[in-house]
Amino acid sequence: MSALIPFHRVNVLTGIKSARLIEDASEYADLIQKAKRPLLVLGPRLLEWALDGKLLIEYALEIAKAANIPICATAHVKGKLTELGVKPDSVYDAVEIVNALKDPDWKGVKRAGNHDLVIFFGIRSDLGEQSLSVLKHFAPHLKTMTLCKFYYPHANYSLPNFRKDEQWKAFLENLIDNLKKGE
Amino acid sequence: MAEVKAITRKEEEVRQLIKAEIPWEPVGPTPMPEIPDLRSWDMRLLKTYKPWYAPFCDLCCLCTYGKCDLTENRRGACGLDIATQQARIILLACLMGCSAHAGHAGHILEFLIERHGPDKKIDMGTFIELEAPNIRTVTGLKPETLGDLKAVIEYVYKEITHLLDSTHMGQEGSYLDYESKALHASMLDHVGMEVADIAQIVGFNYPTSVAETPMIEMGWGAVDKSKPVILLVGHNPATSCTLIDYLRDNDLYDKVEVCGICCTALETTRYSDRAKIVGPLSRQLFFVRTGIADVILTDEQCIRTDIPIEASKAGSALIATLDKAMYGLEDATDWDTEEIVKQMVEDKKHFAILDPEKAAEVAAKVAIKIAPQKRKEWITEEEATELAKKCTNCDMCERVCPNLFSIGDGITEVAKGNFDLIKEQFNLCIGCGKCEEECPKQVPIFKIMQVAASKETWKIRAGRGPIMDTEIRNVGAPLTLGTIPGVIAFVGCSNYPDIEDVADMVDEFARRKYIIVLSGCAAMVAGMKKDADGKTVYEKYSPDFDAGGVVNVGSCVANSHISGAGIKIANIFASLPLRANYEVIADYILNRVGACGVAWGAMSQKAASIGTGCNRLGIPVILGPHSSKYRRLYLSRKEEDDWRVMDARKREIVDTGEPSPEHLAYVCETKEKAMVTIPKLCIRKNDTPQGRSIKLNHYISLYKKYMGGGLPEDLHLFVRRSADIPLVYKKEVMAHLKEIDWQPKEPVGLPTLIGTYPTKVPIDAVIH
Ligand code: SF4
Ligand code: SF4
Ligand code: SF4
Repeated sequence: MSALIPFHRVNVLTGIKSARLIEDASEYADLIQKAKRPLLVLGPRLLEWALDGKLLIEYALEIAKAANIPICATAHVKGKLTELGVKPDSVYDAVEIVNALKDPDWKGVKRAGNHDLVIFFGIRSDLGEQSLSVLKHFAPHLKTMTLCKFYYPHANYSLPNFRKDEQWKAFLENLIDNLKKGE
Repeated sequence: MAEVKAITRKEEEVRQLIKAEIPWEPVGPTPMPEIPDLRSWDMRLLKTYKPWYAPFCDLCCLCTYGKCDLTENRRGACGLDIATQQARIILLACLMGCSAHAGHAGHILEFLIERHGPDKKIDMGTFIELEAPNIRTVTGLKPETLGDLKAVIEYVYKEITHLLDSTHMGQEGSYLDYESKALHASMLDHVGMEVADIAQIVGFNYPTSVAETPMIEMGWGAVDKSKPVILLVGHNPATSCTLIDYLRDNDLYDKVEVCGICCTALETTRYSDRAKIVGPLSRQLFFVRTGIADVILTDEQCIRTDIPIEASKAGSALIATLDKAMYGLEDATDWDTEEIVKQMVEDKKHFAILDPEKAAEVAAKVAIKIAPQKRKEWITEEEATELAKKCTNCDMCERVCPNLFSIGDGITEVAKGNFDLIKEQFNLCIGCGKCEEECPKQVPIFKIMQVAASKETWKIRAGRGPIMDTEIRNVGAPLTLGTIPGVIAFVGCSNYPDIEDVADMVDEFARRKYIIVLSGCAAMVAGMKKDADGKTVYEKYSPDFDAGGVVNVGSCVANSHISGAGIKIANIFASLPLRANYEVIADYILNRVGACGVAWGAMSQKAASIGTGCNRLGIPVILGPHSSKYRRLYLSRKEEDDWRVMDARKREIVDTGEPSPEHLAYVCETKEKAMVTIPKLCIRKNDTPQGRSIKLNHYISLYKKYMGGGLPEDLHLFVRRSADIPLVYKKEVMAHLKEIDWQPKEPVGLPTLIGTYPTKVPIDAVIH
């Protein structure tokens, strides 16, 4: 059972409906590839966290590129993206993007219709879990997924609490490979 | 309004309570409003600023039909859905907040009426004639004596009962109606806070009608531990001010050190500039555990509930001075003083003493007796390193940390003799103590963190109470025209992502000539950072309510002076009558006063009601990331929402398409993003071209500074005509606007929501 308790205890689930825990990168890649209009929501922790000296934001951009997923830059992530020469498809805060996603008729960041899979990466875990809660309760029309190294009960699909950063790194690298392969 | 309605018995009763016969202003449409009276205003607000719910819990467990699972559109056994349950919890939180202040107000009022009699005149000094803007606007009463305030607080009590009633299972079934009730409770909170602070100013003779209040010493290092030390924790100054009197009268003032945490500290330093401020609530447990306090006096609101246990561990004596928090202690109020002192000193017992005079005397006597027996040394780096060696860096502390960081990493570094990380982490720590509780190795994390705690002292300006009428007169025009770009209120608790954020934000916006007002824990932490010249923001900026001024209004209850300042602008500058005229005043503030609250570390239920009260009055509030756990925000959908207003001059509805203010309750994840959001939320529809260009100048330049250059994505929504564009960015902005095919729009002469929704208020009422 311990894997079902999120790493940060403030995010512990009080309820019944919780995320499916997925450890296999190919399963994640499948879910992403099956989605018609996925969206990658990037948070500011990506600018602080690094795996072996490589900032997480770089992993995020590789994922976006490999699967051609539009990006939403939250908080002040846009600054770093600009520095990296990347123009995000949209700039909203976590609470704003979630607010838009709730609306089934929203046009989405590409103006091609609301997204069917929303992938959260790098938002502080309490705000992230609250944002996922909004979608879990009020956006039955879409699915949510997380890429941080913690279990997020309010998501539809979540990673486990990775004990070692190497496991997380391996997962992300595998995911990128799988997405590239699936192109 | 053509029909002449007979006055009902109930209306007559209200007219008596508010002394309607005294003609200082005509009585407006909503004297002492009840739940339905401002509902249509609320519904209009909620139409644009829709509640955003992030359930913190998927269940409801409030009655024995439950627990009920409310996921996937399920309703509870009573028929309740998840949105309505969130709104109900929000209403409960706002009611707790409102009651805490109303309870405080009622208590302090009784205490001061006992001292001075009910006829004690309310005199707020030479420069404040408009003594009670919230009370006047909400109730319609112009309070002249302490006795008048009693009628006001009794009205608040009555409303609280009806509101709390509505949270019982099986009643209200609409989240919008629960929100309207939460807005009502929170408006009342500002009334209760105003009662409390007016009573305190009058009853304790706090400074008023003055900007330049004394500078107070703040920080652990400021506390002279060679003397007996009395620590005050809480919000209610009845006992703390009485203690100062006792020390003065008995020639002990030089011999005993008085210091405080949280709002009682702010209150006491308004009474005596020699009292010290230890710091905000987040420093409570640290300081208590140092054992520097010989006696701890608790009163009410934000105090740790385990404080008697912590006091015992630290060898400090404790006296609970208010009925709100008695901790199961024996009530010694009627005991002989010497007997209490004896038992506290010899048997190390704690007591509840609800008589302020007795509590003050006992505190002083006990402190003097036990101080010589106590060792009060800070831990040394060597000792800390030794203690830290027990840590196995197992993660358990990180997992329970509500600020989500690994103190275990910091402790591991300390074990190696490196203190850099733990010093950084001390700024992130909200002092909850969960880490130490969880540690399987019983590492004394708090003790070790003492080496990280700076012994530095800072200067903070003592709280000054209300903004002066004269100041309002001076800034009214520049504020409503937009040439002073906004008033920013930093308020609320100390649940910060980083304690230095507030000082950084204050500095940024004071430098940019916004008016900065502060209260409570936010006022403290703003002063806990020095610039390169060793100055805090209180030393660096003027204390005036004017462009570039930094104003500490005081404790939590002084928040009523911040909402009050908005109301005063409507009255003193725009000549709108206040009396029972809430809707008109709120509409004025929403559309024309560029004010924005920042409750960066909001944590308590009081912060929920203070913020929600600002929202009903038309003031948007930005919250820090923890506040997503309040589970409700008020957000618009930007250009997709309804931004139609009535142009009261032309009497036609205009679709402005301009989302100003864009949100009413909003969460930013980082300080950087807050820096960009604050100037945007100060934009109002009635800005003149000159004012708008100043506001956009700050918006653009802060965006460039914190978002890596470029122009804000939504800039075009705030440019009405090319005259709105700041000169420095003209070329860049024009090129951008051309690219996206922007079309100019007419600015609205006199924007108001009145006339865009069903209300009894005629449009004429907004024209001054
Ligand atoms: S109040 Fe309603 S939803 Fe809550 S436990 Fe009772 S029946 Fe269930
Ligand atoms: S819980 Fe204790 S032992 Fe574990 S990392 Fe934290 S301080 Fe070290
Ligand atoms: S006391 Fe500080 S470090 Fe410990 S859990 Fe609380 S916030 Fe985290």
